[in-house]
Amino acid sequence: MMLSWLLACPLVGMLVVLALPKTAVRAIRTVALLATGLALLLSLKLLLAYQPAVAGMQYLERVPWIPPLRVFYHLGVDGISVPLVVLTGLLGFLACVASYAIAERHKEYFALYLLLEAGMLGTFLALDLFLFYIFWELVLVPMYFLIGIWGGGRREYSAFKFFVYTLAGSLAMLLAILALYLRAHTFDLLELAAAGRTFELGFQQLLFLGFFLGFAVKVPVFPFHTWLPDAHVDAPTPGSVLLAGVLLKMGGYGFFRIAYPICPAAAMGFGGAMALLGVINIVYGAFVAMAQTDFKRLVAYSSVSHMGFVLLGLASFTPEGLNGAMFQMVSHGVVTGAMFLLVGVLYDRTHTRELAAFGGLGARVPVYAGFLIFFSLASLGLPGLSGFVGEFLSLVGAFGVWRWQTVVSILGIVAAAVYMLQVIQQVLLGPLNERWRALPDMTLREWLSLAPLLLVVLGLGVFPLALLSVQDATLQRLIAHVVGAIK
Amino acid sequence: MSVVLAESLNAWWPEAILSVGALAVLLLGAWTRRDRPSLVAAWLTLGAGAAALWMAPVPPAAGTFFGLILCDPFSLAFRWLALGTLAIVLLLASASRELAASVRGECYGLLLLLGVGLMLMAEANHLLMAYLAMELVSLSSYVLVGFLRERRSAEAALKYLLFGALSSGVMLFGMSLLFGLTEALAFPDLQAAVAGAGGPMARALLVAVALMLAGLAFKISMVPFHMWTPDAYEGAPAAVTALLSVGPKAAGLALFLRLLEALAPLWPALAPLLLALTVVTMTLGNLVALVQTNVKRLLAYSTIGQVGYLLIGLAVHTRVGHEALLVSLVAYGFMNLGAFACVVAVMNGTGSEALEAFRGLSRRAPGLALACAVFLLSLAGIPPLLGFIGKFLLFGSALEAGAVALAAAAAVNSVIALYYYTNIIRLMYFAPPAQAAPLSPSPALRLALGSCAAATLALGLWPGPLMELVSRLAVVRLL
Repeated sequence: MMLSWLLACPLVGMLVVLALPKTAVRAIRTVALLATGLALLLSLKLLLAYQPAVAGMQYLERVPWIPPLRVFYHLGVDGISVPLVVLTGLLGFLACVASYAIAERHKEYFALYLLLEAGMLGTFLALDLFLFYIFWELVLVPMYFLIGIWGGGRREYSAFKFFVYTLAGSLAMLLAILALYLRAHTFDLLELAAAGRTFELGFQQLLFLGFFLGFAVKVPVFPFHTWLPDAHVDAPTPGSVLLAGVLLKMGGYGFFRIAYPICPAAAMGFGGAMALLGVINIVYGAFVAMAQTDFKRLVAYSSVSHMGFVLLGLASFTPEGLNGAMFQMVSHGVVTGAMFLLVGVLYDRTHTRELAAFGGLGARVPVYAGFLIFFSLASLGLPGLSGFVGEFLSLVGAFGVWRWQTVVSILGIVAAAVYMLQVIQQVLLGPLNERWRALPDMTLREWLSLAPLLLVVLGLGVFPLALLSVQDATLQRLIAHVVGAIK
Repeated sequence: MSVVLAESLNAWWPEAILSVGALAVLLLGAWTRRDRPSLVAAWLTLGAGAAALWMAPVPPAAGTFFGLILCDPFSLAFRWLALGTLAIVLLLASASRELAASVRGECYGLLLLLGVGLMLMAEANHLLMAYLAMELVSLSSYVLVGFLRERRSAEAALKYLLFGALSSGVMLFGMSLLFGLTEALAFPDLQAAVAGAGGPMARALLVAVALMLAGLAFKISMVPFHMWTPDAYEGAPAAVTALLSVGPKAAGLALFLRLLEALAPLWPALAPLLLALTVVTMTLGNLVALVQTNVKRLLAYSTIGQVGYLLIGLAVHTRVGHEALLVSLVAYGFMNLGAFACVVAVMNGTGSEALEAFRGLSRRAPGLALACAVFLLSLAGIPPLLGFIGKFLLFGSALEAGAVALAAAAAVNSVIALYYYTNIIRLMYFAPPAQAAPLSPSPALRLALGSCAAATLALGLWPGPLMELVSRLAVVRLL
């Protein structure tokens, strides 16, 4: 029942928020904080109680839901989902802390926020394809509202673009799900994974393409990425954190949980294309990020680049590559989440995100400067921090399989160093812009929302085994499943 | 003979009560020129009709009315659907401020009469009966569309009448050809007569059937017989539009299903035509809806689009398809009636039916805006709402029948439709209101909104019972 309790935290929180009068802002915030905090605690408990050595799914729950369609309320976790559930719990809580900056329509905001968290958790917990799809789509609606109501800039346009892109991808996935159901007469992901190996290659390829479109929009894979800069930039800070930190991971998770196990032969066949797209993501994202003058847009494009490593690692079908891809997802979630929080801290004070408008803030706001430097270095892949481990493992895994693609990807790392150091230089160094003479440093609340992320980045960088030991066994089994299907 | 009549009447009490009640309400309204008495009478009639339907024996002991109508479980479902639609529409009509008090009684009476026509359409087992039922629906609709005292309403009614008379004439011509060719009017006889046809006879039959189906296509707003829809929807009182958008569509599809069963031997020739029209209907409806600025016109084109989706279930001609069609019809009924309840509420509050009237609604009426968002998202097919379940089953039925292109076209259409559905949500939630005064729907509207929203959400989350019910219906023999 543990997973259901985890899922119930945000949902119950949402119902309580809806029941409160809209003037009770303090109560609404407290409820939201309690709900997300409890979800975080439960996800940590799950992490501690999870036994990596035991094969297969753990904490299974299976109750009939729609008997005529053989749909089950089927939850469970393994080494692929546990890290992402914890990531969701962590970012969900910290972004909720950051949501204190939301100034209007609190009741609607926190109700939607909690619904969003429930959708994200459900996506990672569901073991029934139908249930998975429901949660997957459930994430869209609250995020659409978060961007559209509380966003900035061209928020209406960005919200709609996000919605329509993701829905278009989802419908391709829906057709694949239907085709799969008509063939196998089950939505159970475990049964489907067993049955998928027996499908002929052509059918697998069609399925893979359908799923690919759904996941590629979310990751996002070039050329389906154009919604990302708009949505990330115009979303409110907590929305950007969850978009970059969790929503993109839903796409990557889809490959691990659905596309790879169910269509193994097709996945192997499309490995080259995946690797190529990964390289394009890495290099293209990095170079576009270099050209940005808007801080938030730069971070958004850096996400495109970093998610490319996930694709590259996935395409390798080696234990190192898959471990790297998973590690990169978690690391990117934490680092980029923190970067968006940092952009938000600066924007709340200065109401600008133009990099050229800053300068010399290092001396003015030293605590902020410390955080920014730390996370920038993590983002550019400094050894000792989490970003390095993920990227390194992905590259090591891919090098043996996709040699020149891996070599080209290195360009992306170089470019990442350029744009991240540029950020540090333009924001923190140089002469102080007189406009920001009275700029206050980080408040305790902002400090508290960033410090845990710093610890995670440092911890994972120094002791990557903490995460690797959770996921490795599951990933090894996945590779055996995929490769075994070919032989 | 008297035994047959007695048995028939026994099965047919709901319609008899509704017909007599409708006439009484009509007279009461014309006589008192007041709202209240006729409204009470209308509700009493509806309640009595529902009670009679609850107790009606299904299936009846003998052939009803010499096989003219069929009171089987299939038609029972559509009779309940018609009664439910009537109930919601009565709520809307009584809450709407568009109608003058002096004519309301007649409006209620005509609504009930239209309901009888809907039930008959679903029961018809004979070409004459089908024609009569459709004319009853049409004639009541023509009058109801012109119920507002403004030019636009009269114009809409006239357009509707002309177009309707034309298509009903064409249908009658088709039926007479069919009768001439087969000497059969009852559906089972028709099936037997059509079965052996070949050569020139088969081609002649096809012409007759195509002409006959034109009338049905008119009723369900299938392209190319959809042209009346936006004008009639815009000119009619919103409550009547709500009924027109759900009732005749459901009943028309029921009759369509039965007719196709009777004409099953001709199916291979009809299938490509129907398949093409399905895709054209959904695409045209959704594309034209993109540019609408009047909410009733927008919902009219949205209806055409939704009918396109519903037709998938018909066009694939499988048991799975029919099940999907029935579930989707229930979904469509709830969410579209709910959407029109929102339109009535907004029109009552602002006096405008422009899309702009929805601007900032989430601040003026949070509950109403939430309900409206639920209906629109359900129409767009977003889970976990009932509209998604319907679409899921329809897409599935298309894939099951091997019509991959059809499923893909429907998926593309869903993306297009997202634009205009979210456009209303955008106005309600993202845009600031033009005026800040709170807008509070009347209790009758709240009841309509609440029941539709609850059904859309609850049946979306637990569609199991509905699907089991429908799967029991879909195996019923239609003839």
